[in-house]
Amino acid sequence: MSRYIAKAAIRGANLIVGEAEQMVEAAVAELGASTPVAFTNTAYHLPVILGFTGMEVDNLGELREAVAYAKRLLNAMPGESLWLPYLGETLDAGAATLLATEAIEAVRFARGLQPEPIPGLHLTGTSFTSPDNNGGGADGGHANGPIDDIQLRAWGIQLVDGRMPGFAAIIGAARSNEAAVSIVRELQKRNILVFLSGNVNGRSIIHQLMEEGVEMGYDTYIVPFGTDTISAIYALGFATRSALTFGGMSGGQTRDILLYNKYRVFAFALALGEVDDLKYAAAAGAINYGFPVIADTLIPQILPSGITSYEHVISMPFDDIPGDNDTERARRLVQRCMEVRGVKIKITDVPIPVPYGSAFEGERIRKADMRVEFGGSKAQAFEYLRSVGLDEIEDGKIEVVGPGFDDVPEGGAMSLGIVVEVAGRKMQEDFEPVLERQTHYWVNGASGIQHIGQRDITWIRLSKAAVDKGFQIKNLGDILYARLHADFGAILDKVAVTIYTDPDKFQEWLAKAREAYQARNVRLADMVDESIEEFYSCTLCQSFAPNHVCVISPERLGLCGAYNWLDCKASNQINPTGPNQPIPKGICLDPVFGVWQGSNEFAYQNTHQTVERVTLYSIMQDPMTACGCFECIAVVIPEANGVMVVSREDPSMTPAGMTFSTLAGVAGGGLQTPGMMGVGKYYLLSRKFISADGGFKRIVWMSSVLKGMMADELKGVCEREGDPDLLDKIADERSATTVEELLPFLEEHQHPALAMDPIF
Amino acid sequence: MSVAMPNVNETWTGKILEVTLGAGPDKGGTRGKTVTVGGETTLPFLHFEGEIPNKPVVAVEVRDRAPDDWSELLVKAWGDSLKDPAAWAAKAEGLGAEIIALSLDSAHPERGNTGAKEARETVRQVLKATSLPLIIYGPGQPDKDNEVLVAAAEEAAGERVALGNCEEKNYRTVVAAALANNQVVIAKTPIDVNLAKQLNVLIGDMRLDRDRILIDPTTGALGYGLEYTYSVMERVRLAALTGDSALQQPLIVTAGYEAWRAKEARTNDGVPTQWGDWAKRAVLWEANTAVTLLETGADILVLRHPETIPLVKRAIAGLMTRAGA
Repeated sequence: MSRYIAKAAIRGANLIVGEAEQMVEAAVAELGASTPVAFTNTAYHLPVILGFTGMEVDNLGELREAVAYAKRLLNAMPGESLWLPYLGETLDAGAATLLATEAIEAVRFARGLQPEPIPGLHLTGTSFTSPDNNGGGADGGHANGPIDDIQLRAWGIQLVDGRMPGFAAIIGAARSNEAAVSIVRELQKRNILVFLSGNVNGRSIIHQLMEEGVEMGYDTYIVPFGTDTISAIYALGFATRSALTFGGMSGGQTRDILLYNKYRVFAFALALGEVDDLKYAAAAGAINYGFPVIADTLIPQILPSGITSYEHVISMPFDDIPGDNDTERARRLVQRCMEVRGVKIKITDVPIPVPYGSAFEGERIRKADMRVEFGGSKAQAFEYLRSVGLDEIEDGKIEVVGPGFDDVPEGGAMSLGIVVEVAGRKMQEDFEPVLERQTHYWVNGASGIQHIGQRDITWIRLSKAAVDKGFQIKNLGDILYARLHADFGAILDKVAVTIYTDPDKFQEWLAKAREAYQARNVRLADMVDESIEEFYSCTLCQSFAPNHVCVISPERLGLCGAYNWLDCKASNQINPTGPNQPIPKGICLDPVFGVWQGSNEFAYQNTHQTVERVTLYSIMQDPMTACGCFECIAVVIPEANGVMVVSREDPSMTPAGMTFSTLAGVAGGGLQTPGMMGVGKYYLLSRKFISADGGFKRIVWMSSVLKGMMADELKGVCEREGDPDLLDKIADERSATTVEELLPFLEEHQHPALAMDPIF
Repeated sequence: MSVAMPNVNETWTGKILEVTLGAGPDKGGTRGKTVTVGGETTLPFLHFEGEIPNKPVVAVEVRDRAPDDWSELLVKAWGDSLKDPAAWAAKAEGLGAEIIALSLDSAHPERGNTGAKEARETVRQVLKATSLPLIIYGPGQPDKDNEVLVAAAEEAAGERVALGNCEEKNYRTVVAAALANNQVVIAKTPIDVNLAKQLNVLIGDMRLDRDRILIDPTTGALGYGLEYTYSVMERVRLAALTGDSALQQPLIVTAGYEAWRAKEARTNDGVPTQWGDWAKRAVLWEANTAVTLLETGADILVLRHPETIPLVKRAIAGLMTRAGA
């Protein structure tokens, strides 16, 4: 905590509490202790005082007690030689400031001085709190004062259901009228409620907006509270009442109310112009609610997170913000506010000139219908997603570097590289491939666009029809931008897409991408079950296989092939209550068979007490259950002392005397059947593939489609197993469809399984 | 010779929460009657094994506009009252309904596109016309649901109505409206225990009290997937009784809606004569659907036909009678 800020805040708090005390005493002397005090049209008394202290203040006498409470929260200023953290003192000073400012406004109400008269300010929308008050200006113009309960409910619902991400309490005056309008417009664009108060040398942002003809009031979501800092208390009164109304809390549940706001109300304070002691003190008050403060002047910052989710105080001097004009600077300032508070952007539509939806995913573009292709046999294409720092990219920037396809003849090809850069506080490097792989589905969702492959074997075709409708290279970026925010908004804050068609740049980035692919391969190879603390569950299929749980480890992906360990990890980040839950491994009960206390307990509980024990590395002993979605089925062939692996895509008869579909009926349904197990095809490549039973060398038969599909990978595995020709020793449906045919084949090729320990 | 019979009673650790609909003047509402469901500590009607403190109840569906796709039989049975939700509700109460399930169907963009103002008016009229607690359904289109359910929740403030449906797509708004106005929500998920659980967890995260949620697990009609939904409900209830606190709410099923979608109930056109008397068949279709769901744990049954009401209530009365009592 910055000593400078602490001192200023405590100084400010002392001052304002003193002022409140004087005002209340004077009012009691003049009007009497029983004079009622109330904000109009609220059932929550003086809400901040109610929230913090539980006191239901209804008259001046009671208000006196509230101020006394504030006074007790005050601390001495940290001495020059005190180097303790003074966070607690500062927060208390902030709380005292809030109580005092609310008391001051209450006295002003009692004296008929609120809402503040502002000649010329006429609010739009029904303002229940602002009846014709005695103090209205010459023309009856006035600020809004506190928000009434009816409006609180209407907005509160939108805050709770997420349609309105949060509110911005702006205090002071902007650098220029242009900046003032731009800041407010940027906030409105994001559906953020704008509260205005404060001034700099007598000039308030309220004045600035009035001069620019910006309408204020409930209808425009811009609420002017008043032209002094004190009126900013109404913002926190609103926050407190949100917690009381929607959080089911009651006055005095201070901690709960503050936490509710921290986690559910995405609000922040934006201090425009010079920050004086009172503003520091009020800022300290806002931090109690988890609301960070962003200043557009040079002030000390408080960067570590703690009371707020991210930074506490950020300084972003307006003049130093890059940009050609104040509008651009304002946009960047608001963008920064969003990041600091963690406000997420919502995108519902993919802005491209062709229809978009999952219904178009399976579309094929024939050569005759094709305008241009990227990749394929005549050109090259790649896609590469990487994470960068939050300040390294600008959200929404989509750029094409190089020429379009206008000069490419119809049906021709060109090289193209898609580089997606993402930034987010919850983004992890591990998620890069998870997100990148989605490119295939996302791009395919556009009507008239076909996407095949991944990484540097990407192949994209644009149909003539799509291009006729106006589809351009840049639209690929639009798709990715929209979908990344929509699907991975929980872990991302910013997305930028650059598409390279310029030959030199293309080569340059292709080299970078390949380096990254290589690094990922190595990383993935290093990621073993022993190197992590948690497995992940997948219960997605319990709707039809109620007693099945997939336990997914780095070396054993889900049996459907769709979820590996990293996918599950990302999925859990995005949807913490979803079907992928972390399973702490707990004590390892058997390293050979792959049995952990944690996975056993999880399986027992989530199979509804059906499966008590599950091994990760064995087909013979307590094998993992299967839902029915498996890519392959592994089945023990006792006569051959090994296992066969049948692919879902293989319709032929197998040496077990059953086809895939017959086997599937036995293997699925969440039952533990020793000797039979549904698996994802990439599990075959794992070092932990039935390692307790002898591993890959046990495979005596494998559908030829698998041999073809994973030829290179399988070759690698055979080499790893020290038997480079092993794949040729494994039979398939072309060489054997009965045990009688299988055994001579294995003898002839000297399959290692024949010489291994009995599998039973 | 006496044979010792082993005691096979289960000892369940979980208990279904009691959820109350409707509030009388003592609780800030105007309802003459309130309904409490739930509270079971055993599987349906196993009185020898645990407590079943509250009987299941019958809700009757009332729409804010005369339905144009309802079976002739229903239209005939309700007559002119179909045109006036208040009259319809009053008639349903007279026929034995214990809850009025008001559907703000006219808010649907294709069926009138009415808004918050009309919703308030309808709710006000129906509250006036009946002393029973209300369930209020939106038109089933997320944007319009949000619009009219929020208005309805406000209009019925203090009455402890159930707002439905609260689904994955719009639960936040409906729950917020319930929080702000002290109402109950109906959490509906498509025939899946885990989805039901997840939605309840998400609603709980928004801090709505656990006893202000009803689970609609989505059901099918007799002959149209009833057995599948039956076993899903059974699993919800088993999970609840074995201690899964995220599933311990009472179950509500829309038996009438489901049954009257089935050809067997809806129409007599082109059906074999062996199917017998249409009117009788249709009512039995609905009653059978409802009673089957009762056996797997339904606490509130939303019905459509006047003649189904006494049939189902008779079944409930019978099932609630303890053997030997």
